[in-house]
Amino acid sequence: MPYHEPDPSDPSILVGVQISGSEETELDMAYVFAEEFARLGFSEERLQALFHDPFYAAANRALQVLGEGKIRSIIQETLAVWGRFPIAVQDAAERKQWDISIDSLRQEAKSHLRQDRQKS
Amino acid sequence: MSYPYEARFPERQFAFVFNINRCIACQSCTMACKSTWTFSKGQEHMWWANVETKPYGGYPQSWDVRTLELLRQADPDGQTWNGPVSDNPRSLYGGFSGKTIFEAAEKTLQPPGSRVLGYLPTDEEWNSPNIYEDNPVGPKGVRNQLHQTGEQLPTHNTWFFYLARICNHCTYPACLAACPRQAIYKRPEDGIVLLDQKECRGYRKCVEACPYKKVMYRGNTRVSEKCVACYPRVEGTDPESDGQPMETRCMAACIGQIRMQGLVKMNSDGTWAEDRQNPLYYLVHVAKVGLPLYPQFGTSPNGYYIPPRWVPRGYLRQMFGPGVDRALERYENPDRELLAVLQLFRRSNRIIFRYEIEEGPLVYTGVYRGKTVRIYDDTVIAFGQEGNELFRTKVEEPLYVRPGQYQNSI
Repeated sequence: MPYHEPDPSDPSILVGVQISGSEETELDMAYVFAEEFARLGFSEERLQALFHDPFYAAANRALQVLGEGKIRSIIQETLAVWGRFPIAVQDAAERKQWDISIDSLRQEAKSHLRQDRQKS
Repeated sequence: MSYPYEARFPERQFAFVFNINRCIACQSCTMACKSTWTFSKGQEHMWWANVETKPYGGYPQSWDVRTLELLRQADPDGQTWNGPVSDNPRSLYGGFSGKTIFEAAEKTLQPPGSRVLGYLPTDEEWNSPNIYEDNPVGPKGVRNQLHQTGEQLPTHNTWFFYLARICNHCTYPACLAACPRQAIYKRPEDGIVLLDQKECRGYRKCVEACPYKKVMYRGNTRVSEKCVACYPRVEGTDPESDGQPMETRCMAACIGQIRMQGLVKMNSDGTWAEDRQNPLYYLVHVAKVGLPLYPQFGTSPNGYYIPPRWVPRGYLRQMFGPGVDRALERYENPDRELLAVLQLFRRSNRIIFRYEIEEGPLVYTGVYRGKTVRIYDDTVIAFGQEGNELFRTKVEEPLYVRPGQYQNSI
């Protein structure tokens, strides 16, 4: 949002538009938040903490509108469907080292210096 | 539906589906495009691919509201949808009884030569994409400082979403219709809309006409430019493509996995030919979860969007037409095939021409939001132009974790 109050003479300013969200919108958003973080591996406890954190403004607003009980049931329902995931620990296969290490450059510089000194 | 030229349709059409539910506005697509095509002097204001915050934002500012308002003025109270959504490919999203930008142009007080209703955005509207979008505000008059107690500020019932946009390579391009020099053409092989810069004289009729505002004027060369759909990649002539059709730069860079682009077969009447195992055909014509952006403009755009499911329906119906309710009903309760096809997004940068599903075990059954959910761990296999397998992936995708000793090894 702009730092200053809207200037009505500015032709680009957005004026007089309000499409406010409803309780139904909050419900859909709460399911989306729960699902997104459940798929990232959040536990029930972590999801509860997310909804209670006022700095997660939209999730926290959903908690205020829908209430503690509804949010808890949304979290549990969502975790049942989307909270199951296998975890695979792996890393990329070893690849050829393309980068030149700093140590090799230092060695190179030292050997050049040595050669220069020997010449002089 | 009127159009100034006789309809000519390509053999195949460049098309794409964006799943808005997944977009986080990281702008990777925007920068991939910028660093490939519009990094030169005179192109500073050009963003062929952009992501804007809706409903507030827009590039150029207010582009959609301005065109909708022009249409409303041309046809007051007439811009309505009258038919239900259907399975007819010509009225998949319902029948529109209002005026398109081509029909409305005949009624308005534009110069008689104008073929398309439009407007020319000001320099200010082009100059600052994403201005004031998503900006946290600090104390008034103090820059670079946020409220330390932001959580105590007044709260509002807010919603928003991110809308990623590129040129829609329309079936009835408004830019092409408006050009007095016929410098814009639609390629017969893939339907990509290109602008011949040798023919262009910079009249900016295309900029004025394109309702999506995806043609831009370059001041230092005095000609217009637009998205070229990364055609060397789509053709398979890009050195990196190794002869196989590749998706565009903006698609390939998408880390949110919201994008899928391909080439669809066309009928001689301009509708999509049935190609049941093409993922784009499936999403748009079978599952019907992909919807065109502002179909009421009348250009038949070839970009399709899976609408965001948390947004008030009235706004979505204005933006994507009456097909929104059906699309969201199916997206929220995906069947076995849709769940598998949604896994195809961004597993490869090659264009997928066909997919197959190998059935896997039932891994979950239960009730979610009052409906029975069954999740099968199917394997979905993607094939390229020559029928070669591109990749295979599963519905139950594992979460990959980098082991401890490699945490900082990048």
